[in-house]
Amino acid sequence: MEGYLRTAPFTILFLPLFGMIVIALVGPRVHRIGAAVIGNLSILGAFVLTAMLAWTVWRLPPDAQVLTVKYPPAWAAHPQFWAHIPPLTISFELRIDSLALVWMLIITGVGFLIHLYSVGYMADAKGYRTFFAYMNLFVFTMLLLVMAGNFLWLLVGWGGVGLASYLLIGFDADRPAAVLAARKALIMNVIGDVGIMIALFLLYAHFGSLSYKEVFGNVTSASQSALNWIGIWLLLGAVAKSAQLPLQTWLPDAMEGPTPVSALIHAATMVTAGVYLIARAHPIYDHAPIAATTVAVIGCATAFFAATIGTVQYDIKRVLAYSTMSQIGYMVLAVGVGAYAAGTFHFITHAFFKALLFMAAGIIIHNLGGEQDIRKMGGLARRMPLAFWTFLIGTLAISGIYPFAGFFSKDAIFDQLLASHHPVLWAFAVATALLTAYYMFRLLFLTFFTGEYRGEHEPHADRSFTMMIPTVILALLSVVGGWLVLPGHDAISSTLAPAFADSGKLPRMGEINWFFTSIATLVAVLGFGAAYVLYQRGAEIRVRLSTALRPLRALLFNAYYFDTIYHWLFEVPALTLASDVARYIDPEGVGGVTAGVARAATGVGDAMRGWETGYLRRYGLSMVIGMVLVLAFYLYLAHGGIAAGMK
Amino acid sequence: MIALFWICAVVLVVTGIAVISSKHPVHSVIALIVNFSALAVLFLTLNAEFLAMIQIIIYAGAILVLFLFVIALLTIGNQAIELAPGRLSFQAVPSIVAGIAALALLFAGVRGAQVGAYQPTPSDFGLVATFGTALLTTHLFAFEVTGFVLLIAVIGVVVMAGRKEVRF
Amino acid sequence: MGIAQVPLADYLTVSAAIFVIGVIGFLLRRNPIIMLMAIELMWNAGNLAFAAFARHFIDMSGQVFVFIVITVAAAEAAIALAIVVMVFRRRPDADVDEISVMRG
Repeated sequence: MEGYLRTAPFTILFLPLFGMIVIALVGPRVHRIGAAVIGNLSILGAFVLTAMLAWTVWRLPPDAQVLTVKYPPAWAAHPQFWAHIPPLTISFELRIDSLALVWMLIITGVGFLIHLYSVGYMADAKGYRTFFAYMNLFVFTMLLLVMAGNFLWLLVGWGGVGLASYLLIGFDADRPAAVLAARKALIMNVIGDVGIMIALFLLYAHFGSLSYKEVFGNVTSASQSALNWIGIWLLLGAVAKSAQLPLQTWLPDAMEGPTPVSALIHAATMVTAGVYLIARAHPIYDHAPIAATTVAVIGCATAFFAATIGTVQYDIKRVLAYSTMSQIGYMVLAVGVGAYAAGTFHFITHAFFKALLFMAAGIIIHNLGGEQDIRKMGGLARRMPLAFWTFLIGTLAISGIYPFAGFFSKDAIFDQLLASHHPVLWAFAVATALLTAYYMFRLLFLTFFTGEYRGEHEPHADRSFTMMIPTVILALLSVVGGWLVLPGHDAISSTLAPAFADSGKLPRMGEINWFFTSIATLVAVLGFGAAYVLYQRGAEIRVRLSTALRPLRALLFNAYYFDTIYHWLFEVPALTLASDVARYIDPEGVGGVTAGVARAATGVGDAMRGWETGYLRRYGLSMVIGMVLVLAFYLYLAHGGIAAGMK
Repeated sequence: MIALFWICAVVLVVTGIAVISSKHPVHSVIALIVNFSALAVLFLTLNAEFLAMIQIIIYAGAILVLFLFVIALLTIGNQAIELAPGRLSFQAVPSIVAGIAALALLFAGVRGAQVGAYQPTPSDFGLVATFGTALLTTHLFAFEVTGFVLLIAVIGVVVMAGRKEVRF
Repeated sequence: MGIAQVPLADYLTVSAAIFVIGVIGFLLRRNPIIMLMAIELMWNAGNLAFAAFARHFIDMSGQVFVFIVITVAAAEAAIALAIVVMVFRRRPDADVDEISVMRG
């Protein structure tokens, strides 16, 4: 048992990496399906092992449920560290507790479903094998992120998922839009990495160690202002990775990547890394109220902000991207006020229904030959029933309609907001819920109803089982996933309790305050109703409204012009500087220096060439002069000076 | 004895100057022969009998005859040489200055040197037998290498003898 | 010829004088034969110094070295004269300043 608990985490962690290496080495030699098989099997294996590990851990007594696994193990005759820069010692350690296990299950579980989906979806893509290698890389680095036992390995995983995201967004390297989007995502992620690095420096400065055990064990030994600063810098990293304000502009562009990538990375897992970070660092945030409040405010603002933008977009994936941004905002808001269980719960349900929505959207896009503009769709409900029904389930879930998954997790968040006395935040959260329901149903209506099919391509029915089965599974999970937390039976809180034992705040969820819950449900129904009225019935009302609100629509459509502002604030000066340096400083400055060195060497050579005249007597003269000088010097030495000497 | 030394010294210097300042090469060769003879006498005063003989036989007898042959090859009649002015500027004065400086320095070095007192030489010093022993035992390697040098010289001369005139 | 009361320094002075005469001759004259004879003068100066040192320090090595110098001088004179003949064949106005092929 001891040995199992010590080795299983490593196996889980390295199985996807091993899969990637095998794909890289063996993949090109076999049929391309081999890469898909290896990729899927490695992730499935990781999931099964994670499930077994979770089952084992969750049957242990609560205070034994936090595993710290180090490599090299204690019994090995080897120094117990990975790096030792006195006085800092860093080990390769993993921390497996309930929080990590929940994330691991989702990463490997939903990851496996998306891998399976990709077998069919990416069938026409070139670089099929590379895709699965990159996906395996992503799963490995994401697992490393959540399993890390100290902040350094968290950062390694953090950077790794950023890399995987870059590789996968720009997967179709022939398209400039994809390449630019990948670059944008990477640059913004790196800004977040800098934030985390500064937080690491501060952690070392105040705690002398980067290990979770030592930092969280002595968290009160640092001053509150120090903890606030650490919390703020970690928040910068979270904001970048989770696409919150103000570093959110990369996520809509990241939709240029293939749909499975959008589903796995930019919906279910990677973008939730920020939420994980804050939840993991909860001891810090519990003692840093300013930082925690900042987290909550940013989350709430992003949720509302993204929801407003989503109401006017007409690219399916973009709507879903803003929806993701908004829902992550909910999670960030939850962990910001200390409702870690609620945030985790929403993470789980969101992984289900967002991945589902992306998969269903992917089926539609695939069948329409790459069309993503919903203005060119319509009437697909009868032509693509599977896509319709699964998409409907996802929409119901995300809108928070009882009894689908989103209802329970959103209700938990709203409940916690009120319980922690944040009425303003609650109001904005509820308003966001209204908008969420509105734009999701708008998307549904425009895609599947609203009259006849408006597109050019004839939709072809796709019978790809690898695409349909995961979608159906996720639809099922979106239905039942919320039932983890029911009144009187809160599976999430009790599971997470050991991991949050040092936090005062892990209130039990599941008690439904009927008054406020019905307000939330009413709001969701209002959103549905508005969408129905505008898009199914009253075309004239819609036209008049959109004309009247045209400036507002423009603002929302351009995402509050963040991209333009950032372009002029950052990109233009950087590009101007770079081009000026390249055009002037580099050729004349740097080039001048090197050319100058060459000229100097040649000049010296030319000058010295004058010595070699070719005349014998000249050479003789120079020899004699040299001889005279040597003689003089020798005499000087022999007589100890010019004074003595001549007799 | 001292008078002999100084007579030879004066002869050496005078003939040396004559060698380098003659207008005709044959005059230089004659002066050089006298120079070598005076030097041989000086060798005799230094208990170097064998060297004195070698000097006369080889140096004066062979090398200078070689010089005479070459002069015969180059010269037509007894016209003077170096009628045209020199091409190199700033050669004469710096040469003389450097030469005088070298002489001064050498004088300074020689005069200021502390050498030990004069010792009488053993009776077999400088004899052929002693010389031969030293040459073939202590300095055997140098002797062999010298033979090699002569071999190279012979080969070089034979190679060059067969060539046509070189024009620059 | 046993007793030599002439001090070593005098021998060396004469040697130095002959040497410098040879040097100046080499640098000032332009006829190659005369230059070679100036070189011979320099060698002889060196030989005189060696023989004087051999006598003063009672060491045969000096005399052996003189012997070797004479040998090498002979070899070198042969080669040099052969080169001179090749370059300046039948020209009484031979001038080394005309040869600057090794310029640069």
